[in-house]
Amino acid sequence: MREKKPSVVLSFATTTQAMKAEKCLLDNKVPGRLIPVPREITAGCGLAWKSLKEDRDLLMDVVKANDLPYQAETELMLV
Amino acid sequence: MIQVNAMGDACPIPVVKTKNAIKELNGAGTVETLVDNEIAVQNLKKMASVKGYEATSEQLGPNEFKVTMVIGEGAAADDADDTVYEACDITPRKKKIVVQISADHMGEGGEQLGKNLLKGFIYALSQQDVLPDTILCYNGGASITCEDSPALEDLKAMAAEGVEILTCGTCLDFFGLKEKLAVGEVTNMYVIVEKLSGADLIIRP
Repeated sequence: MREKKPSVVLSFATTTQAMKAEKCLLDNKVPGRLIPVPREITAGCGLAWKSLKEDRDLLMDVVKANDLPYQAETELMLV
Repeated sequence: MIQVNAMGDACPIPVVKTKNAIKELNGAGTVETLVDNEIAVQNLKKMASVKGYEATSEQLGPNEFKVTMVIGEGAAADDADDTVYEACDITPRKKKIVVQISADHMGEGGEQLGKNLLKGFIYALSQQDVLPDTILCYNGGASITCEDSPALEDLKAMAAEGVEILTCGTCLDFFGLKEKLAVGEVTNMYVIVEKLSGADLIIRP
């Protein structure tokens, strides 16, 4: 199994918002990626942004600066 | 103490050899059996529990286990019900799973959505307890194994765990990606046909 690391997951109200956020975060060189929403957060289907916990400050700076609408922030151990 | 070497022996030989050793003890004592697989360990422990022997196991190496049985006084006498626990667990042959990635997106309808879905699929795939044996990438799917692919990290992790990742050479050539393959090997149509026809399960996202 792959090693899991402390991560921050941002979930979004809609898939479109998630995809827009991905574009913005990648453009701003925030380390992280779009993943299917982890089962720990919801059984439903959706996309979420995942960054390592150590990159949280940078992530949230870009989120705030660009007014990215996210639904919730969750800390999880993820690969 | 008697040591039994059942390395390389197929079921039920380790159990048979161990029982013979217990007979040889002719009373209380310890029998250590060396085996090379987990199933044999379980069979030996099952036999011990049926017979009422105390059994412990220890893994000595990647393919080496030691099962130690302590036989109490008078416990070895009965050998009437020999057949009961000699039945081998038939380990189900591991299913051959092939994942077929034939496009750079998953499903039809939204192109960017489809790309994100495929990325998510490969991420989730890499976290399954049972990984596929082979991932075949062709046509638009060929780009997924190349430099700048968003799925590279997950594919590399699976390759490191022994998943065979094969990308169609014709396709790499067609898209001008021959120099950009970043994970796995180049393959051809013969191998693709072999892998697909030899599969027990084909997963196509």
